[in-house]
Amino acid sequence: MSYGLEIFDSSGNKTFSTTDSTWTLLGVYTSNADTSTTHTGVPVMPTRLVTRIMVDQISGDDESYVHTFSLSGSTLTTTAPSSSETVKTIFMVFGK
Amino acid sequence: MAHGLLVKNEDGDVLIDSDFPHYHFLGKYTHTSVTQVPDINEGGVANAAQGSNDYKGMQNMPARGEIYKFSVPVNGAKPPMCFIKPTSTGSSAPFTGIILTKQSGTNWEIWVFQSVVTSANPVLYCFAPLSQVSTSTSDTYGLKTFDNGGTATFDSRFKPLRVVGGGNITSPTLAHTGSTGSSWTASLGVNASSVSASFTNQSSASDLIYYCPSIASACQQYTHIEADQGWYSYTYYAWARGDLWWCFYRSCFRIASTSSFEANYGVYARGHVYEHKVDSTNLLFGIVLGAITGGAYFVAAVALAVNSGAFTSAGLDGGNYLPYENSYRNNSANAFIISKASYYD
Repeated sequence: MSYGLEIFDSSGNKTFSTTDSTWTLLGVYTSNADTSTTHTGVPVMPTRLVTRIMVDQISGDDESYVHTFSLSGSTLTTTAPSSSETVKTIFMVFGK
Repeated sequence: MAHGLLVKNEDGDVLIDSDFPHYHFLGKYTHTSVTQVPDINEGGVANAAQGSNDYKGMQNMPARGEIYKFSVPVNGAKPPMCFIKPTSTGSSAPFTGIILTKQSGTNWEIWVFQSVVTSANPVLYCFAPLSQVSTSTSDTYGLKTFDNGGTATFDSRFKPLRVVGGGNITSPTLAHTGSTGSSWTASLGVNASSVSASFTNQSSASDLIYYCPSIASACQQYTHIEADQGWYSYTYYAWARGDLWWCFYRSCFRIASTSSFEANYGVYARGHVYEHKVDSTNLLFGIVLGAITGGAYFVAAVALAVNSGAFTSAGLDGGNYLPYENSYRNNSANAFIISKASYYD
């Protein structure tokens, strides 16, 4: 590295470097089962990534959709594809 | 930001922003138990004399994958980011994905589904915001940042998450393409082509770990109904048999190479219900056949097939695992992130 920042621990192991890439957690948002929800106040960064986690088990004979979403500016709009078969979904928005 | 620390790389990507919590290494975890969704197999009257009495089990059905259960000690509302270190990598490696994330007391319960049974086990590398990292350190070297409320957001002593790649991947639509069976032989194995997404090339595939919760599922079935009537041993018989086989698939993933991430399905659950009726007391063939044909029969048969005791023993919610017919759900916009195990070993 000719310029940038490297961080080492006391043993000399590199723990972070500006040659790394990383994702910063901008927010965690939960949309309840079968309900469309709009989340506001999402921080803006040049690049963002949205991961979805279905919270409860799919037992196979009931809820099995996760929410769809769109992220624009500071608004995360989440939509339940089904009013009776959409599982509770956690959205984690990362930025870099 | 009015004050604080903001570190960017030459591409303008934000690496450290003291306003926001970064994920830090919690630990490396092995599973606490392994299970599989119990087979759902139920049939009605068997009769060896009239009609086929074969294939009433799970013959010709594809093998089920297995579920590894983990308990990650991280108390807090934000779920941990759990990266999978798969049992192997490459174009023949099993597919693996996180299918359940659930807070349980002061832990988070994580289930990892693997498409095939192996002797080796996947391992989780887990990360959480500093506020949920309870480990301590006596190390006094490094860099630590705080937000404007005085909450620590980045601390190099706790191994911040370092990412080497990521993106979005779309799982295949159906898990099985083409014919789903013939006569009493179901053909429901996963044969969809894997979908791949590329990431920045790395030196060693076996060192890579990935975060990509499974959200896609597919469910496919095959039905067969056959009937006949005639004289047998001086008695007039009418017989009919109807079968329904199904598989419920969950999406899962693998590191295919040093720059390729792949998605496909594994058989999460499988079932087979059937009814086999014979009537020698009347000549009304239509009554026998009518008893087993139509969706109502199969709906009732599937409902009866669920053995709740078997599901309790397996540590799983009961159900028929037949949520819909010959379709798929949630297959697009599945985000993934790649890191390296060696950063944290």
